[in-house]
Amino acid sequence: MVSDFTFCTVQYDSGDWDSAPLVPANIIDSVARYTSIRVAPTGVTVPLGSPDLLKFPLAYLTGHLPVRFTELERRTLREYCRRGGLLFVDDHNHDIDGVFHKSCTEEISRAVGLLADLPNTHPLYRCFFTFEDGPPTTSHEMNGWGDNLVHRHLQGVQLAGRLAVLYSSKDYSSEWGFHPDNKRFYSVDNTRFGVNIVVYALTR
Amino acid sequence: MTVRARVAHAHRTLRRAVVATAMLRGAALTLLLLLVIAFADAVFSLSAPARVAAAPLAAIAGVVLAARWTIRHGWRAGPDSAALWIESRFPALRYALVTAVDARYSGAVPELERMAAGVDFEAQVGRAAWRAVRWPALAVALFGAVLAALPAGAVSRVTWPHAGDAIDGPAYLRRRDDALATIVVRVAPPAYAGLAARALDDPAVVPALAGSAITFEGRSGDESVHGAAGQEALRATVTGGRWRLAFTMPSHAVAVRLVSGTKERLVAFDVMPDSAPVIALTRPARDSILRRAAGRVPLEARASDDYGLANGAFEVVVSSGAGENFTFRTLTVGAAALAGRDAELRATLDLDALKLQPGDIVHLRAVARDRNDVGGPSLGSSETRTWRVARAGEYDSVAVDAAPPAEAEKSALSQRMLLMLAQALEGRRGQLPRGTFTNESRAIAVDQTQLRRRVGQIVFRRLGEGDGEEGDALERRLDRPTNPDSVLAAAQRANDAVAAAAGAPIEGTESESPVIAINQPLLEAYNHMWQASTELEVGEPGRAIPWMRKALEALERARSAERIYLRGSSKAVVVDVARVRLQGKERGASSQRTSGSAADPRRAERLARFDAALALAPRSTVAAADSLLLLRIDALAADPPAAAALGAAANALRSGGDATAALARARRVLAGLVPARAPLGGWGAPW
Repeated sequence: MVSDFTFCTVQYDSGDWDSAPLVPANIIDSVARYTSIRVAPTGVTVPLGSPDLLKFPLAYLTGHLPVRFTELERRTLREYCRRGGLLFVDDHNHDIDGVFHKSCTEEISRAVGLLADLPNTHPLYRCFFTFEDGPPTTSHEMNGWGDNLVHRHLQGVQLAGRLAVLYSSKDYSSEWGFHPDNKRFYSVDNTRFGVNIVVYALTR
Repeated sequence: MTVRARVAHAHRTLRRAVVATAMLRGAALTLLLLLVIAFADAVFSLSAPARVAAAPLAAIAGVVLAARWTIRHGWRAGPDSAALWIESRFPALRYALVTAVDARYSGAVPELERMAAGVDFEAQVGRAAWRAVRWPALAVALFGAVLAALPAGAVSRVTWPHAGDAIDGPAYLRRRDDALATIVVRVAPPAYAGLAARALDDPAVVPALAGSAITFEGRSGDESVHGAAGQEALRATVTGGRWRLAFTMPSHAVAVRLVSGTKERLVAFDVMPDSAPVIALTRPARDSILRRAAGRVPLEARASDDYGLANGAFEVVVSSGAGENFTFRTLTVGAAALAGRDAELRATLDLDALKLQPGDIVHLRAVARDRNDVGGPSLGSSETRTWRVARAGEYDSVAVDAAPPAEAEKSALSQRMLLMLAQALEGRRGQLPRGTFTNESRAIAVDQTQLRRRVGQIVFRRLGEGDGEEGDALERRLDRPTNPDSVLAAAQRANDAVAAAAGAPIEGTESESPVIAINQPLLEAYNHMWQASTELEVGEPGRAIPWMRKALEALERARSAERIYLRGSSKAVVVDVARVRLQGKERGASSQRTSGSAADPRRAERLARFDAALALAPRSTVAAADSLLLLRIDALAADPPAAAALGAAANALRSGGDATAALARARRVLAGLVPARAPLGGWGAPW
């Protein structure tokens, strides 16, 4: 059975899971714009503790506040990753080693496994568009600190040679948080990396 | 000394001799049995249960013999028997002693004293006693000497059998060419676990905590012993005729391969889990919203761990801000060292010191660490409690007055009750006289009619029809069925006219309007109730029940239509996929992927390995068992039930018995054909 790709945003009990409402539409727009993947025109929101999560190959989780999963959420996430799902987590804060980062990475470690730096040669960066230097930087990443501190790598948890959790501290949630109609004002579409994430999730 | 006293002394001597002889004979028998068992063990390597039973049985045999000997040889005999025994050896006494010890003649006949005084029977008694005990004593000495001469292990294996003594005992009676024939694995758990060291004889699978000191031990053979634990090479040391090989248990399951010449042996090591502490935050018990963030809040948590707790604390995160701008503060409260496997953690949180501002959120949780100093202490954390400091003017969720249910809610409850009454009455149809049955049905009909009129009033007044009509007109309207479509069409026209006159947009133009969405099901319910009450009036609750059910369903739809959701979500952006792709029209509907069962891509590979191991079994059961153990190690993480079944199959192969059932079960569990449950035991009598 052929089914459309549906972008899934994860709703969790703690924190502000709904802080980036425009990201799904933006990624859907990019998937439709650059690929021939059959894609649903709207995303869905699925509680992390719900077995419905298993219907979606890619799940997006973001927020600003500390993340504490319930035991049910941990179990479902573990099952989701074990069964081949890819959880894409993005820290929506403009900080370094902030509380979302600490709490969320801790929860991911408990539920799935330890996060490790993803080499910039990972297939994720070449599965559709090619990003020679690894993950694209964001305008929010440096947060006005006046230096060139950027996160050199994304992080991930690999299960059986496949990326099960992709963790970003680059705040793509802010970078991609605009209405897709405004994409025409960009000379280079900054959501192209989202297409890579979708393609990776659908093909690995 | 009188004759009577001399005989009494001789009697005591003889009794002591009987007891000593009995004890010596019993001891000799016990020692002899132990000697025989020790030799049998040295030659045949008796099983542990047999050795455990041997020493007590030997002791019991000795005690039985001693008791029997004592009873049979005059333990109960009195001084007169002793006198007779002496008289039989000194006929010249002519029963003088027997007469003298008789109480009736004691001291009465001086002649008896004189006759006895001339006979030294004490020496004869002493010699007899010595003759009685010398051979048993010699036997005890002999058997004891032989036992003492045996190697220490040979005796201790019989007298004090214990785990780890498989390699004790005389080596000269065993084969010297196979150093791996019998091995002992000693496991010393890491200190933090507080567990005692243990030994296992000839194990195939050894569970051990990570960091445990593992020592293999066996008798030295003609070939040296070496081994490998995963990638780590192990070299044995030899002292006192035994080889020893040690390694530290890693944090993952590992198979240790021991090699001696052409002989190989495999032992699997499972990692015993050391779980993170489990901690529950008992105070505060729930999330809350604080109007004033002041005062001191008691905190309590209960922690437990499988091996022991080290410390614990309460972690507090204070988040301030909103939207995209958040700041965070973290602090730790009530850090304390914990001891034992269960502990309670208490502290007090000073809210004044936190200087909380309106809108701030306090996230609180308790954490505890265990004493694991090998893999690093594991951290356990409780669920997180959240307190929010209310903003000024915010009284949304802390003071809610209970409100009566809405009209539609009440109607649904009443309809459900009437339906239950009608069903109960229908159930009693055969038990009630027709007259009683009809009366009860009519009573329900009265209630059903009242409910119908109430629903009608709700609808018609809501549509504005009641306001414009006289009271009698409304009553007449409520007493006849209605056509929902015509009523609603009129109401919709009136609503549209009012909205158009006011210049306001009409809500819900894309689908049915609220006027219809709410009132349509109520009007349907009204009509269904009419039908139901008609049937009830004629005493046919069975025919009324379907109508009552339809009425209830309609009322439920009305309740759902009226429900108000206080928290809304931002309008979802619908991407026009076809427009983005410059083609066609988007369908506006999506389908979802259906979840499949969990697939294990390595299952087929494991099955192939299992079949390969099985193919080895006809040629070498040891090789097949080793292959199964290696497969078990690999399957441990991905498929624990299959690993357990493989371990059982390997043990069955090693034991040399019929392993068919265990292998078949392992094959089926490995293929995912059966749930992982222990099989039923074989049929047999209860004894």
